[in-house]
Amino acid sequence: MSFSVTCLLKKQNRLLTAISVRHRSQRRNLGKPPGIAKTLEERMEEMNFKDPKIHFKVDIGLPTPQRDKKMETAKRIEFIKKIKCNAELEKLSRNNELPVSLDEISNDWSKTNAPLHIKKVAEYYGIFEHLFGDAYFTPYVQMDISYDYNSKKVPVYRGNIIKPNEALYSPKVNFEAPEKTLWTLMLTNPDGHLHKENSEYIHWLVGNIPGGDVNRGETVFNYLQPFPAKGTGYQRMIFVLYKQSSEIDFSSIKSVSEKIDLANRTFSTFDFYCSHEDIMTPAGLAFYQTDWDNSLTKFYHDQLSMPEPVYEYDFQPPYIKPQKWFPLKEPFNLYMDKYRDEKQIAKEFLMRKLRKTHPFQKPEPPLKYPNAVPFKKTTPSWLKLEMKKERLRWGRVNDY
Amino acid sequence: MLVGRQSKNILSSVTNTNIKRCLGTAPEDSGHAQFVYNRNPRNLEKLRIAYKPAGYHLEKPGREFWHKLQVTTSKRHVTASVLHHTGVVPVMATTAEWAVRKQLFSTLDKMAYITIGKVLAQRCLECGISDMINTYEVLPNSKLEALLENLLKGGIRLEEDPRYKSPNPWDQERPEKPWEHY
Repeated sequence: MSFSVTCLLKKQNRLLTAISVRHRSQRRNLGKPPGIAKTLEERMEEMNFKDPKIHFKVDIGLPTPQRDKKMETAKRIEFIKKIKCNAELEKLSRNNELPVSLDEISNDWSKTNAPLHIKKVAEYYGIFEHLFGDAYFTPYVQMDISYDYNSKKVPVYRGNIIKPNEALYSPKVNFEAPEKTLWTLMLTNPDGHLHKENSEYIHWLVGNIPGGDVNRGETVFNYLQPFPAKGTGYQRMIFVLYKQSSEIDFSSIKSVSEKIDLANRTFSTFDFYCSHEDIMTPAGLAFYQTDWDNSLTKFYHDQLSMPEPVYEYDFQPPYIKPQKWFPLKEPFNLYMDKYRDEKQIAKEFLMRKLRKTHPFQKPEPPLKYPNAVPFKKTTPSWLKLEMKKERLRWGRVNDY
Repeated sequence: MLVGRQSKNILSSVTNTNIKRCLGTAPEDSGHAQFVYNRNPRNLEKLRIAYKPAGYHLEKPGREFWHKLQVTTSKRHVTASVLHHTGVVPVMATTAEWAVRKQLFSTLDKMAYITIGKVLAQRCLECGISDMINTYEVLPNSKLEALLENLLKGGIRLEEDPRYKSPNPWDQERPEKPWEHY
C-alpha cells in the first residue's frame, strides 16, 4: 500500500516538471504597448480639445496701423549696410565694448513689437478672459504710467509688482494722441472683490479725456488705492484705455464723493464695454500686481471703517481611509487620533501648553539635550514617543 | 481678534494643470465673506502653492518648473525666451527685433548674447517674472555664459523655490509658509 502511494507521488512529480511552462508576468493591467497606446501629451490634447467653431475669440481692438513696409525694409537694409562698413563699431563689438543703450531699445520696442508682446503677456495673465470674456484686443496705443513714491518714479509695465503704499495717489498717465480725440481711462481690479465671485472693483475711471491729457478729463470714479486683503496673495490692477468716437454721458454711473462706498464700486468691465460698444474701442493696456503690506491695516480701519479681513489659502484636507474595527499593524494612539475631532486635539495641546506657562515668570528654557532626559521606568513606550515628540518639537506641538 | 480662522471647506475645483483660484477663510461674525476668490492665474505660483509637473524622476533635464529659460540659436539670430510649463512663452527677446538689431554689429557674436541677456532680464522684471530655472551647462568664457551672467546682473534668479505642500497634522515637519514673509 505505502509503496504504491510513493510511486504515484513520484510519477506526479515527474509529470509536473515535464509540464512546467515559462512563467508569464501577472501584470496584465499595463494597457497597450508603447507604439500603439497614446502618449500623455496626445491624451491631454484630446481631453483639452476645443472646437474652433465654438471657442473662438473676437478682436474688438483698433485696426493695425498702416505702414509702408517696403520703404521701411529698404531703410533698414541701408542702415545695416552702414553698420557693417563701420570699422570702429566692429572693433568695439569684437572687444565686447559696444555701447548698447537699454532705454533706446525699450523706446524702439514700444514703437515696433510692443503691441504683440503686451497682448501675449496679457493673455498669459488671463486679462482678456476675465475682463472681456471671449474678446481680445491688441494694445496699439502705448501708455506711460508712473506713480510718485517718495519723489521717486514707480512705473507700471505689464505685471510688475507695486506695493499698496507706493500707489496711494493717482499716477501720472501719458499717451500720445491727437488734440481732437476723446479717450476713457479705467483702473480695475478683477481679483479683490470681498463679497462677490467673478466681480471687480473699479478703482479709477476718467472719461472724455481730450487729446491725451488726463487732468482735463471728466472723473467718473475717484482714484482709490489698491487694498488687497491679507492672505489673498497677488492681485492684478489693470489700466485699460479706450478710444471714443464721440462724447459719452457718464452721469448714470458717476459717483464722485470723498467717502468710499465699496458696494457702489462693484463693477463689470464686460457690461460697461457692452453698454458703450458702438462708441468705445479698447486701445491701450498696462497692469501691475499688488499684495498686502502693513500700511493697509490703517486704511481698512480709517477709510473703509471695517475690521481688517485676514484670509488663508484653503488647502484640500488629507484623505483619511475609513476606520476599521481591527486595524492591524497600526500604532493605536496615532491611528485613533486620525478619527478624532481636530478641535478637541487642538484644545488638549493648548491646555497642556497653558498648564506649563506661568503668567509672571519667564518661559522655561528649551532643553539642551532633549534626548538625554530620562523617562520614568513605568512609562509605556507609546507615551515615551509622545513625550519625545514634545521635547524635540516634532509634529502637532508646532501648531499650538 | 481674528484668530479662529479654521473652517474646513473642500477646494471645489482643482484642475490638473493650473489651480486658478485662491480661496480664503475668515470668521463669520466680522461681516466679511467667508471666501474670497483670487482669479489671478499667476498668484499661486507667486505664493509657491501652484502645481508643478514632476515628470519622470530619471529624466534629464527634468520638467519640474514654473518658468524655464530657453536659448535657441539659428543661423542668423539668437533668441532667449521664458517657457511656462503649460507651453506658453510669455516673454522673449531676440536679435531679429529691429529695436535690438539696430544697435548691434553682428547678431551672433558675444555682444549680441550680452545684449539679449540684458534685454530679457529687463522684460522679465517688467512682466513680474523674477525666478526661472536654467538647465544649460555652460562652458567657461562661452557666449552662453555671458548671457546668463547678464541675466543674473539684471536681477533674475536662475533657480526656483520648491513647491509648498501643506503638511498633514501628523507630519513631523512644519515648513515655513512662503506668504507670511513680506
